[in-house]
Amino acid sequence: MIGNKIRHDTTWNHRDDRYGCKRTRNRGGDSVHGCKVVVIRVNLQSPNTSRLRSRTLNPNQNMAKFSIATVFIASISLLLALTRSFSVENPTDRRILVLLDDLALKSSHSIFFTSLQARGFELDFKLSDDPKIALQRYGQHLYDGLVLFSPTTERFGGSLDVAAILDFVDSGKDLIVAADASASDLIRNIAAECGVDFDEDPSAVVIDHGSYAVSGTEGDHTLIAADDFIQSDVLLGSTKIEAPVLFKGIGHSVNPANSLVLKVLSASPSAYSANPKSKLSSPPSLSGSSISLVSVVQARNNARVVFSGSLDLFSNKFFKSPVQKAGSSNKYAKSGNEQFVTELSKWVFHERGHLKAVNVRHHRVGETDEPAIYRINDDLQYSVEIYEWSGSSWEPYVANDVQVQFYMMSPYVLKTMSTNKKGLYHASFKVPDVYGVFQFKVEYQRLGYTSLSLAKQIPVRPFRHNEYERFIPTAFPYYGASFSTMAGFLIFSFIYLYSK
Amino acid sequence: MGKSTVTTKDDAQALFHSLRSAYSSTPTNLKIIDLYVLFAVFTALIQVGYMAIVGSFPFNSFLSGVLSCVGTAVLAVCLRIQVNKENKEFKDLPPERAFADFVLCNLVLHLVIMNFLG
Repeated sequence: MIGNKIRHDTTWNHRDDRYGCKRTRNRGGDSVHGCKVVVIRVNLQSPNTSRLRSRTLNPNQNMAKFSIATVFIASISLLLALTRSFSVENPTDRRILVLLDDLALKSSHSIFFTSLQARGFELDFKLSDDPKIALQRYGQHLYDGLVLFSPTTERFGGSLDVAAILDFVDSGKDLIVAADASASDLIRNIAAECGVDFDEDPSAVVIDHGSYAVSGTEGDHTLIAADDFIQSDVLLGSTKIEAPVLFKGIGHSVNPANSLVLKVLSASPSAYSANPKSKLSSPPSLSGSSISLVSVVQARNNARVVFSGSLDLFSNKFFKSPVQKAGSSNKYAKSGNEQFVTELSKWVFHERGHLKAVNVRHHRVGETDEPAIYRINDDLQYSVEIYEWSGSSWEPYVANDVQVQFYMMSPYVLKTMSTNKKGLYHASFKVPDVYGVFQFKVEYQRLGYTSLSLAKQIPVRPFRHNEYERFIPTAFPYYGASFSTMAGFLIFSFIYLYSK
Repeated sequence: MGKSTVTTKDDAQALFHSLRSAYSSTPTNLKIIDLYVLFAVFTALIQVGYMAIVGSFPFNSFLSGVLSCVGTAVLAVCLRIQVNKENKEFKDLPPERAFADFVLCNLVLHLVIMNFLG
């Protein structure tokens, strides 16, 4: 087309250009054969005024192109990294940062770590004072889970501190914290922020003269065999843990009024928390079953945190050692630690007990599409699908206690939904005789499961003036009286006129 | 002593007898109107009794029913007054005119009743 400007340059070696002209590799030459168009060639001052891309690369453009390429590659790789992370469709965590205060932990706890890696987690081991620790970069979280096996660390490296860790949990990510007999204030502060209070005495450990683990040497009964588990198939799996769990470390207490914290492994009634080397001068502050050895917290945003008072609970030594509780004659060849830790880690990293609710639908009985407004005394049906993550796929969730509320300041209707065992829950009820703006609310909080909180607003209108009943049955006598007076009038006038 | 004590019971009976004998001398058309008035009042009383039992829920229907009865009674009484030959006031009023007024007013009354009945 006349008017197009093409810069004929030295590096261009296409045979055909886009106008079908065959060009030879001439420098500024005009040998153009068989062109369908006439082209005016003009020397351009700057490449950006042309619609066609400039094909000359001078040094400035060279640099610009190179940096564009690096940014492009970096963003592609970040995108690739993000697609492999935790997402709503696949809620199991993927990348986990493990902070150790001693790299020997990698080998002394290797059974635990290899089992995690065998289940598909990517573990990133770092020393807790490594200055290159970062949980976030450019606002994106780099990890889905954090394991703190660093009870003695006073300060983390990099930008990590109590606030950063709490931010991590607040954004929905999971955490495992193991304290030990020499737990630092940092770990105690993190726990206190999550509702778990370790014993304030820094030298106190849990001692149990009633249910310690029998060992060859006469110990000070700080190694205890605990078997007071929480009753929950979601948290600890459906197989019962037969052998007691070996524990050696500090105890903590949880506030019974706090509904988000659960004691998974409690101490026996004969346990107490004190310094084993010194005589007790006053009764211990923590004693009995109120001592919790391992607790979990499920936050309202469904982030899961495990607090354990013993780092050795996770160690190879405790996994493999036989256990016998004092006072009982059962000798178990293998302690329950491995099963306990495996099941609990499945729960923490969202391989179990994660629910999602999709496809909320409501409609009048007999119709299929969702109306924008209901009328009082309508019959309606509500349905929702709830699935549970099984670690690899979404399975239908089966329960008989999911309830739906028809709520306006208080629930006017509360119905338990019935299920078709394939994940569909439905309920039908009559709209109450009150008009206003209602909500369909499903509030489902069960121990160990993620909480479901669905709300869908729908207005309800009163009757239109022509939707009332036409004749009111209680008024039939009045109707009859009015008509009888009319009839009486007619009869009277006939009689009056035609009587002599 | 031949003194006959006059009791109130005797007075009432004497009054009743005199009323009956006086009434039997009224003309027939007036008696027909009186019967019509009695019918209307009786219907009104039934409706009031029903409302006392059931409650006044469709109050407009109740009022409409009672008004139709009371209205017919009132119009019938007006007709009787105008048609009664012993009334000096309406001596010059033709009874056809009175009946025509009665019919028109009844039409208006029943129109109102049907609207208010709901």
